[in-house]
Amino acid sequence: MRVFADYTGDVFDSCDAVVVGSGPGGAVVAHRLATAGKDVVLIEEGPPFTPEDFVVDGAISMARTMREGGLRATRGFVMPTMQANALGGGSLVNSAICVRSPESTLAAWAENYELGRTGRADLDPHYQAVEDFLGIAPTPDEVQGPRNLLFREGCRALGWSSEPIARSVVGCRGSGECFTGCRARAKQSTDISYVPSAIHAGARVLTSARVERLLIWGRRRATGVEGVIVRPFTGEVTHRFRVDAKVVVLAAGCMATPVLLQRSGALADASGQVGRNLQFHPGVAILGIFPDRTEPQFGATQGYQSLHFVPEGFKMETLWAPPGVFAVRLPGFGLDYKANLARIPFCAVFDSISSCNRSLGTVRARRSGLDPVLHWTLHHEDLKILGKAMWAMAQVFFAAGATSILPGVHGLPDEMHSAAEAEVLRTHDYRPTDLTCSGNHVFSTTRMHGDPRRGVVGEDGRCHDFDNLYIADTGILPRSPSVNPMLTLMAIAHRMGGELAARL
Amino acid sequence: MGRALILFLALAAGWFLRRFLAGYPRPVPAPRCLTAREWATVAAAADATFPGGGAIPPSSEQAEVAGHVDRFVAAQQPSTRILMRLLFVLVEHATLVFPAGGPGGRRRFSGLSRAQRVEVLDGWRRSALFPRRLVFTSLRAILTMGYLGDPGVLRLLGLAPPEIERRVCEADLLWGRVGEPSSAVRYRREDVTPPGPVAPIAAPVAAHRFDEPAAGAIR
Repeated sequence: MRVFADYTGDVFDSCDAVVVGSGPGGAVVAHRLATAGKDVVLIEEGPPFTPEDFVVDGAISMARTMREGGLRATRGFVMPTMQANALGGGSLVNSAICVRSPESTLAAWAENYELGRTGRADLDPHYQAVEDFLGIAPTPDEVQGPRNLLFREGCRALGWSSEPIARSVVGCRGSGECFTGCRARAKQSTDISYVPSAIHAGARVLTSARVERLLIWGRRRATGVEGVIVRPFTGEVTHRFRVDAKVVVLAAGCMATPVLLQRSGALADASGQVGRNLQFHPGVAILGIFPDRTEPQFGATQGYQSLHFVPEGFKMETLWAPPGVFAVRLPGFGLDYKANLARIPFCAVFDSISSCNRSLGTVRARRSGLDPVLHWTLHHEDLKILGKAMWAMAQVFFAAGATSILPGVHGLPDEMHSAAEAEVLRTHDYRPTDLTCSGNHVFSTTRMHGDPRRGVVGEDGRCHDFDNLYIADTGILPRSPSVNPMLTLMAIAHRMGGELAARL
Repeated sequence: MGRALILFLALAAGWFLRRFLAGYPRPVPAPRCLTAREWATVAAAADATFPGGGAIPPSSEQAEVAGHVDRFVAAQQPSTRILMRLLFVLVEHATLVFPAGGPGGRRRFSGLSRAQRVEVLDGWRRSALFPRRLVFTSLRAILTMGYLGDPGVLRLLGLAPPEIERRVCEADLLWGRVGEPSSAVRYRREDVTPPGPVAPIAAPVAAHRFDEPAAGAIR
């Protein structure tokens, strides 16, 4: 394990497999390979964090743990989206939600993308293996906190299904600080789960190492990667590195892997699909006000969910974030705004993530650097899903006893006081710019497809155009997994790592 | 003709210097990152957004919002910093296109009265043009993160982060804090927290009543 302060000069190494990126995909593959006795080097651009390094101030935390300071946004339809830059990748700053994709979703993948062995029955053993390793379990009532239980109450009153969210945590105390890093060390992000286990199995880890280029021999073989050592938080380049390997696994995230391929000479793109098909789960949220204090900062960050409307394209969840981050949704200005901020202790926030399969975009490399240009548009039919999700969340709030909701929709009242008044959320003729969305969960930019002419990788994660280049991040998901994608990616990575170890 | 052109250019240069560069007080203490011009814009916008009094008494100045924004900008990578700086320049000088009402409404933003600044920002907020609303949303988000990043404000709201006892895990034996070498590990194997139940962090006051409280649920 090497951190920035350990580097005294350029680094050269060689191994069986080099894995680029330590998030949920890369860490699982590296772990599988290392425990199978393979010589593995895992490369991560960000630094490893300790609880003492986490900052609960949302703004400063984003600047330290996210690429582009957490201020990345799409063009076309302007929507913020984030990519972590730390050992553990997105798992360091997400809510640890681990949900299996519905059977119907995976069946649709099989049918539309010629994937014969990625059905639910195929993945279930791998889901199970990851769940066992991380101790994934439904969030217990003890750490739900009031706002999560209010969501349950609302769903029950409406007769809609709801359930505690399964999460990868050990000893969660309900501090609600998942997004700024778990100070309790309860969240089993890959930096404290798969990566240490891979190290114990012999893997070498280079942190603060930014891969800039893949090394290629001939037309179909990757021979390694090269890049630079960068100082944490500033990006200052201090040294260079190169790692030669028999196999290269890219798991840099679905917004960075296409850029790496493009920067390395339009690699693996005979299909023309690298950087295309960019999809999000656009998130919309509503803040509800209750008559009693809800103490929303206490309880699991995201403890309850409803899959009731998954067949209609959206999933509802509870949500908590640093107040300064979600206060952007509050209406008002000056003293009115302060009055709304003062209601935060009486509030709960519910959000929904939607499968917007018609809304596509692209990832392109900039002239320099590895940050991408993201272009994405929201399809008008998908907009209807978001509207329905807004309506459904409003219904849950009022069924749970909220006195009002703050929907944050341009052109509609700032505050609504009854379920009847909130009906307009379902019937309103939305324009995309009326909504404040966030680009949660990103995927499909190097999609998996059985037909090499229509996809970048096959079901084993290998790029169709290469003999030894693999991709193991959410870019390979062919479309929305209908729910939070982390567990499905980890299951696919688990299978990929096992198969790759057998081949090496 | 030549003399008229020179006179025009001189006047234009004078106007430019006066408009864009002159007359900004030097903030004390000196900011880490923001220029005096940017500091003035941020402080003026924060003052309009978070005046003293009301439901949360501290003003933007008492909550040191401009200082927080300065730290936030300083923590960004250079490319992102440029975008934030452009945002501040836009807000400062867009009064040329979207002026405040009353006399002197086209002065730079930080030179307007508070009432005029409120009017200008409210114009951005309510605009039918999405890009204008986006500018407002971005600016207010940055300011709000500063206001709600102030420990005093958070304490008043009851939202101050609690003390949390951390577990020690295997990973803590592998690396130290960011910036330290991996030899700077503080923990030994015997420090690793054994598995076992932990108590949830409890809300300090009675909250909403629930139909089916679970054992140990927060009350």
